[in-house]
Amino acid sequence: MSKLKQSVTKENVVQAILVADTFEDEFVPISNNLPLCLFPVVNKPLIDYTLEFLSLGGVEEVFLFCCNHVNEVKSYIRKCIDEAVGWTLTMKVQIIVSESCRSFGDCLRDLDAKGLIRGDFVLLEPGVISNINLLPLLKKHSEILQNDKGAAITLVFQESALGHRSLCPQDESLVAYNNKNRVLFHKKIQKSRDKKAVFPIFQEIFLENSSVSIQHNLRDTHIAICSSSVLPLFSDNFDFQTKDDFIKGLLINEEILGSTIYCHILKGSDYGSAINNWRMYQAISLELKNKWVYPIVPPTKRNRVIPEDSIYSLSSVMGLNSTMYRSVIGSNVTIGEGVKIQDAFIFDNVHIEDDVDISLSVIGPGCVIKKGAKITVGSILGQGVIIDENVFVENTLVQNRPSEDVLAQPEDKIGEFAYRLRACEDEEDLNVDRILAQKFSRLHIHDESYECEYDSENELSDSSEELSHTYSPPPDDTKLFFTEVIDSLTRGYEDKLPCDNLILEVNSSRYAYNVTLREVNYNVIKAILIISQKLPSGTQYFSVMTQMLCYFSPLLKNYIKNEAAMVDCLQAVEDVAISESDLKDKWIIFLLKYLYEKDFLNEESILKWFATLKEHTKLHTQVKPFASWLQEAEEEDSSEEDESE
Amino acid sequence: MKDNDDLSDIIKLISDIKHKNILSSYDVALRTEKLLENLISHGKWDSALELMDLVKQRIKCFSQSLPDEPTASNIMKHILKIIRDEYQLVSKKKGETHSLQQIVKGDSSNVLDYSENVSNLRSALLDHLSEYKDELETSTENIAAQASEHIHSNETILTVGKSRTVEKFLKSASKQRLFNVIVVEGAPSYLGHSMAAALAKSNIQTTVIPDSAVFAMISRVNKVIIGTHTVLANGALRATSGIYVVALAAKHYSIPVMVLSHMYKLTPLYLGSNDHDSFNICASPASVIPYSFGSVLNSADIKNPMFDHVPPELVTLFITHQGGNAPSYIYRLLSEMYHPDDYEI
Repeated sequence: MSKLKQSVTKENVVQAILVADTFEDEFVPISNNLPLCLFPVVNKPLIDYTLEFLSLGGVEEVFLFCCNHVNEVKSYIRKCIDEAVGWTLTMKVQIIVSESCRSFGDCLRDLDAKGLIRGDFVLLEPGVISNINLLPLLKKHSEILQNDKGAAITLVFQESALGHRSLCPQDESLVAYNNKNRVLFHKKIQKSRDKKAVFPIFQEIFLENSSVSIQHNLRDTHIAICSSSVLPLFSDNFDFQTKDDFIKGLLINEEILGSTIYCHILKGSDYGSAINNWRMYQAISLELKNKWVYPIVPPTKRNRVIPEDSIYSLSSVMGLNSTMYRSVIGSNVTIGEGVKIQDAFIFDNVHIEDDVDISLSVIGPGCVIKKGAKITVGSILGQGVIIDENVFVENTLVQNRPSEDVLAQPEDKIGEFAYRLRACEDEEDLNVDRILAQKFSRLHIHDESYECEYDSENELSDSSEELSHTYSPPPDDTKLFFTEVIDSLTRGYEDKLPCDNLILEVNSSRYAYNVTLREVNYNVIKAILIISQKLPSGTQYFSVMTQMLCYFSPLLKNYIKNEAAMVDCLQAVEDVAISESDLKDKWIIFLLKYLYEKDFLNEESILKWFATLKEHTKLHTQVKPFASWLQEAEEEDSSEEDESE
Repeated sequence: MKDNDDLSDIIKLISDIKHKNILSSYDVALRTEKLLENLISHGKWDSALELMDLVKQRIKCFSQSLPDEPTASNIMKHILKIIRDEYQLVSKKKGETHSLQQIVKGDSSNVLDYSENVSNLRSALLDHLSEYKDELETSTENIAAQASEHIHSNETILTVGKSRTVEKFLKSASKQRLFNVIVVEGAPSYLGHSMAAALAKSNIQTTVIPDSAVFAMISRVNKVIIGTHTVLANGALRATSGIYVVALAAKHYSIPVMVLSHMYKLTPLYLGSNDHDSFNICASPASVIPYSFGSVLNSADIKNPMFDHVPPELVTLFITHQGGNAPSYIYRLLSEMYHPDDYEI
């Protein structure tokens, strides 16, 4: 007690805020039962690493902000204090509970209201694992603060490199800073629409600063040193939901808010990273095993490292002829004979029977996998799932009870205690990109052949490199706009609202999301087509569709006004036709014919568009009869005109 | 919470070591001694048994938190031995010298239980401790004073990395003799560079060589003089990585290997197997290959072990403040330092 009293009376206690929840569904279904901070990382709860890092880094008081699974976290912290685990000796942990918070920003606003923070502090996003000494960073920050009163935050970055497994594509960012380490420009490339930083943006940066460094290989460590002004800034700007919002807001409104951002780039054996998706979970587990975070290392007691980079807890039993490769096995796991485990993470109390094959997957606590089952590529099994004999699971999220969602389908049932979880139930199949993003953010695939290609042929590696850049754009403004349009149109069609109101609605969303006119054209047409997909199929389909198009014709007329709009419209038709595989054969012809007859499209634009289509594709063959009919009609027209002259 | 209160002194020491406020083993040794001096003069204990329990608690706590830092535990174990000896002296009881007959018969009636309340134990202990403190403080100088006995004129000495004791030893020899020193740089920490700089400042002829050139250079060396992290119970070393290579090369050319060691580096610990995880620590590979190297790291496994295990047959002589001893004599020094009951706590 005497120690704690001392630290309270001291003027400058080093404080840290650790937000425990991600507020995202990245770790579903395992996170349904287990909070992220108690996820075992190489057989030790994640929060242990974070707190150990903070205590080694010189922090004396931590505010642990908890919104979900509060009791589990509380009892874990209490257990640590009872057992006098290393970090409890020098650091005080306060758990702050607020179940009403829905975002990172909410948490900080709540903390601001409580007024617990007294000076500069360390701010951690969920899942941070690091080994840096925070005291020099805090000192540097206060020095900066003396020269620049507006300095709000020092972001900590680590230099990584493209292609490294721990540089997650979602975190790919572009940072420009001057020789005083002041951040002038920060952009998360995947979260923005164009994936490009246009050079003219930089112009004033170059004019105002004598030297500017632009780096693209930085990874956000999710650690930041904050001035006391940060919490009030969050309170004043209640639209700041995440730290990214905060950075973006501060950089854009620099003059208004009068706050600046600085950055610190880690050197040498300093390491910082955060587990915010499965891919990072995998990367950090491997890096912990390879001692990149030294002196913070995975527990050596009761754990055994075996060749081929696997670690298993000594309380687990493994059968004959079973092989493990780059995997982590938790405690009390029983593994049968002839089991193959590769690049997998097996949590505690899992029972695996003979001849099971598991690769690139995460098996949640208490799962049972029966004989001969195969679980591969990016599957995540929630708590207590039972996989029956000889079942094949690939790239799915599985939980042990049926999904409550209305859209859950009977075929999602894999076994009595195994139900497939749809990745994006609420957005259905529209958001293919999003699903793809989730898929790729799961586990990084160590494909040996891919590595070979990478070495031997530069061209190939280039193309795969590009691939790694283009997948997984999270929802950006255009996407949000698109879903909004679909919502309003569906509602309008069901309630038979007048189309003029719909046009107003679409236009207002257009301004809200700052979308260009051409994108509006494209998205409105696409939305209508998507809605047409959902009409009841059957013999009546085309007549219902005609009715629907009729209903929407004022809307079409409003948006398809000129040649450029026609091109956009056809582009939308093409995209929908390609992405929707189970289209009716005649659908495309029917649609084009309708649009042509109602004069929304003219023949030149259709023919021009047809010429750009690739030959021998399904679409090409489908459209071909219509195009040739158009061509003939045109020739007839012209010949008729000739005759008439 | 009560237990923690009692242990707050050792916790402070642990956190200071972890936060790198105390770096060298010498400072750790002095701090530990001071800590126990405080405990003996101000701590709540009535009998030697209680005091020994207090010390044992601290050893346990320390070795759990910092299993790779033997200095403090060794000092505390030695002080346990001092407590036992003093108790025996003060209470004038003889029980420690087991006769063979006693051992065979399993007669324990004569074994001391240390539970008696002896009035002047405290002052006797404090006297003994201040003596021990002097011994610790002068240990480095005493080792350095022997330098001229071992280093002769125009010899070539090889050393590895940086060690304060070796530095003092060589500087002390340079006052009387002229000789050359070859410093092996000790990648990836390259502490040998600062060692060479420090030696060159005292006008010692110094050459720095990379680790890979050890074998090529060793044939012209007269003596290898190194420091160590720990001396194990059988006379083996747990020393900075790179030293095993040097010792093997020296063996090949029959060059003597001298190890400078303070008494507190003697550890009552035998090694099960030197490839066991608990023997070595792997530090961050970042000093071997920087993290920004990128995709190479996806497929390559990089290791940066900190220690080498050097078997006792490669060491010629240990030099402590008491003089030179062969590795085979370590067992004797150990039994002088520690009581056999305290080897493992």
